[in-house]
Amino acid sequence: MEAASRIKLVVLSILLLCSSILSACAFKDIDRRLFVSVIGIDPAEKIENGFKVTLKIAIPFGAIKQSSRPTFAYLSEEGETVGEAIRMLETHVDKVLELGHMKTIVINEELLKDDLEEFMNFFVRRGDVQMIAYVTAARPSAETILKVEPNTEAPASISFFNFFGETGTESPFIVTTYLFEFRRDYFAKGIDPVLPIMETNKDHTELIVNKSLVIGKKGKTLELDSIMTKYYNSLVHKASGFSYKIQQDGLHLLLNLDVVKMHYKILSEGERPSKIVMHIMKSGVVGESNKPLSPKKLSEYDKLAEDAMTKKVRHLLLYLQEENLDPFGFGLRYRASKLHSADPYKAWEEAYPEIDFDIIMKVELKSTGVTE
Amino acid sequence: MGSSSEKQQPPELLLQLAQQLSPTKDIVQTTLHVDGMAAHLLYLKSAVDSIVLQKTIIQPFFQVTSLDDYASYLNSDPNQTEMADEQTVLVDLTKGNVLVAVEHRFFLLEVRKVGFNEVQQITLEPTIHGAQLGLSESLETSLNVIRQRYHKPSLIFDTMQLKDQSNRSIALVYDKITVNPRALQLIKKRLDNLDFPLILSSGDLQLYLNGTKKSLFPACLLTERPDRLVYNISAGKIIIIVDGSPHAVIAPVVFFDFMVSMEDLYHGYWISILTIILRYAGLLACVILPALYVGITSYTPDVFRTELALTVAASRIGVPYPSFMEVFFMLLFIEFLTEASIRLPSPISATATTVGGLILGTAAVEAALTSNIMIIVVSLVAVSTFVIPINELGFAVRGLRFILLIYTTFFGLAGLAIGLLGIVLFLANKESFGESYLKFGWRKRKKEFRTGEG
Repeated sequence: MEAASRIKLVVLSILLLCSSILSACAFKDIDRRLFVSVIGIDPAEKIENGFKVTLKIAIPFGAIKQSSRPTFAYLSEEGETVGEAIRMLETHVDKVLELGHMKTIVINEELLKDDLEEFMNFFVRRGDVQMIAYVTAARPSAETILKVEPNTEAPASISFFNFFGETGTESPFIVTTYLFEFRRDYFAKGIDPVLPIMETNKDHTELIVNKSLVIGKKGKTLELDSIMTKYYNSLVHKASGFSYKIQQDGLHLLLNLDVVKMHYKILSEGERPSKIVMHIMKSGVVGESNKPLSPKKLSEYDKLAEDAMTKKVRHLLLYLQEENLDPFGFGLRYRASKLHSADPYKAWEEAYPEIDFDIIMKVELKSTGVTE
Repeated sequence: MGSSSEKQQPPELLLQLAQQLSPTKDIVQTTLHVDGMAAHLLYLKSAVDSIVLQKTIIQPFFQVTSLDDYASYLNSDPNQTEMADEQTVLVDLTKGNVLVAVEHRFFLLEVRKVGFNEVQQITLEPTIHGAQLGLSESLETSLNVIRQRYHKPSLIFDTMQLKDQSNRSIALVYDKITVNPRALQLIKKRLDNLDFPLILSSGDLQLYLNGTKKSLFPACLLTERPDRLVYNISAGKIIIIVDGSPHAVIAPVVFFDFMVSMEDLYHGYWISILTIILRYAGLLACVILPALYVGITSYTPDVFRTELALTVAASRIGVPYPSFMEVFFMLLFIEFLTEASIRLPSPISATATTVGGLILGTAAVEAALTSNIMIIVVSLVAVSTFVIPINELGFAVRGLRFILLIYTTFFGLAGLAIGLLGIVLFLANKESFGESYLKFGWRKRKKEFRTGEG
């Protein structure tokens, strides 16, 4: 009796072990998956109100060390929605499309002028898309940008990821916006999201990111040029590597300001916000000069820089105010500091176009950059 | 003298015993006589030290003047063994006792010859500092080793005889002040109830003491290091030594005892902390890595960094079997290698490892039978298994990773988590002689030596 049950047990366990060899569809090895690294979205050419989705797929291949360039495959398909297009693309390849490593969403600039909810919703809902994916605007089109394979790109690395989040390059010209952040700011009252603009050069050998786009509500967009992007980024995101050039009386100074601190207060007159007082503190060293400098005159240079940069910041703030855009999130701050029942946002919306800015800039140069 | 000739005759008991021992050829039954005095000896030549016999039993016979003197001489010999029934005497004779019959009195004297009483070099858990010599295969020598390292009147040697066919002696060693009385009682009870026909060494005794017949994790610790023994005695644990085995069993133990190397005590604070961290990292690596590889490559490649995912995917190109088969085969392969190199004499085992590990590994990758990431995982697993200082746990862990591998194969990373949880639950449920197996011993070393509760 016992022997019989033991034999049964042995047979059962052998059968179970054998069944593990018969791995069915659920078990998908890594080499049966295609890693989508970047998704590009353009307006469809054939379908009205549709989208053209382009996928940049990183193809793994044997000898990574020997290969000089990464290999990518590109898939494009049009559909009425992004999800539909991706479903169709699944029928174009023999492997599973894996979006778990999709870390950059490139959106055609034109699409940003319309209603975003329709196509951004897909990324938020889809489980394997990570909310820390970067979102960026593309010029002239997402497909063009996607197909750029920069010369500096190493095999098994994807340059689209290295631009953002200070993973690779660090520059105050590059704004980083994550998917979660973009969505949150887009829906929040009192703040407007800013997306970096990705461009390419004529030969399509470089990716260039140094401008940005403020996405307002109701499809309103505003491009910030490189300089304004730099100021915005260093003030809001404390981006490092800020430099500023002073030109005065034949003196050329390039200041490397590695510390930028900003805080502001919103002053009210009664129920109405009237003034934003912004304190900016920057410190750093002199990085370049055409004349010998004296450490004793550092405070003079401080003063020069303060005056010049105050003008720039004011220009940026007024430029945004004029367009009624608020990437700094002043409105959000105001809403957060007032009681909900008082409907502070309404008051803010009325007051913002006429609000005053008071900028108090303080520059502290630590040294002339050379040892004497 | 009629009585004299009667004296020349060996007593009935002696003859009977000789009868029972025959036909073995090493039996010696002889009569010493001088001046009408006679003494009869019975012993097994193979078990008795003939020089000692000559000195302590035969020579004095010719130096004393009367049989009474000789009898009292024998009687006062400290090596005298208590005589019980006939069967026990027979067993005692096989152990190296000499039965001396003087007139009608019998003396059982221990004149053991132990050919293997040298103290052995430590091979299982060598350390750079600390003791270099371990125990001996002879029980007396081993006890001597311990006694000479722990001079304390409270150190107790409790010798008893195994109830199996070999009738070997075993000794329980403990410090009666610090010992955990509950565990001591339990061990004695288990030793009494031991019901196995033949016990060969401390290794299998340890298994039989376990309580459960089938167990993956050891409930006792096997060691050959006298410093470990002394450390454990003073901390209140019980040592069991089997005659003829150079290893001692320490009980009760907790899981974390297996992760301690004696070297930890000989190093500075930070160094020992680092090595302990290293060891636990190794334990974790060799348990989890194979399963993790399967879980990540086949279920959730999103966990990798993108670069790594691409590299892994690239290295798997052309590998014909799914990842779990690959891992399973490679683990099996490593187990073969380990097993082979343990059993082989060391000069050959080096060759086996080279051929197996290096050549086969490279060839397997070249032939695209396995990915090179897999080779890294498997070698890492193999190496980190050896980080575990006590062998028994190493073996247990080798089994463990297959269990985790199966879980992960079926349920992905969630399976791995569930499997790990299961292992922790299992360990938490396990007991070693009344002590919880996963008991944390967060105590200062000074405090540890003062309490009895191990």
